[in-house]
Amino acid sequence: MNDYRLILFLLAALFSVWAVMARRLLTSAIMLALVSVTVSLIFFDYGAPWAGVFELSVCAGLITVLFVGAVSLIRAADEQNPENRSRFHALPLVLAAFAIASWYYLPAFFAELSAWARPGTGGGTIGLALWDMRRPDLLGQILMLAAGVFVIKSVFPRRNEK
Amino acid sequence: MNSFAMEWYLITLIMFTGFYCMLVSRSIVRQLVGLEIVSKAAMLALISAGALANNLIYAQALLITMIVIEVVVVAAGLALLVKNFRLHGAADIWKLDSLKG
Repeated sequence: MNDYRLILFLLAALFSVWAVMARRLLTSAIMLALVSVTVSLIFFDYGAPWAGVFELSVCAGLITVLFVGAVSLIRAADEQNPENRSRFHALPLVLAAFAIASWYYLPAFFAELSAWARPGTGGGTIGLALWDMRRPDLLGQILMLAAGVFVIKSVFPRRNEK
Repeated sequence: MNSFAMEWYLITLIMFTGFYCMLVSRSIVRQLVGLEIVSKAAMLALISAGALANNLIYAQALLITMIVIEVVVVAAGLALLVKNFRLHGAADIWKLDSLKG
């Protein structure tokens, strides 16, 4: 792993901890957007520009707008009845304990796991993969979007004015 | 230790952060934030595995599907949040059971 990618991974971890520990929900949503931006930079560094563009536009853009909209709606009520913060403050300690404990066995397991990889040809384009070889996925995506619209429709039914 | 093992170790830490957030919080927004963090870690693992197997094209196609699913899940979760907030004035997951029809 090069230094640039290592720094991006560490930044993603830092922003995700910050998103969890932030007292205000708006800060949490913004930190989540920064996690998305960092993750998209990692995708670009891997040589996966399509994934980076989708991550940047959809996750860092659209989902952040959805979060900020929802947070602005409930912010007043959330500030009146704040959550117990002690468990959030314990996160760095718990994470450090997990990191130290898992350092002894997880990297070795992952090294063994990576040896199982069977290298592919690496050819083709994203258009070929998306529109030709994985075409049935598109049907699943359209159905998933329809399911989302149906959920919104059923959560907010139109009331009859009787 | 090879570089992929180190990357996956860091991905595990990010995923742990998301799971911890989902475990300790009662707020629906924070539950979704935790879910997003877990999802980001899963995406990183997917692309990293694609790079390891020299198959980034398929990994990206799968990731685009994953992003679509993620958007739908977040939109549905936030819709439930808004509905619950309108009914009860709270964003508490323990009050979601009153939404049953």
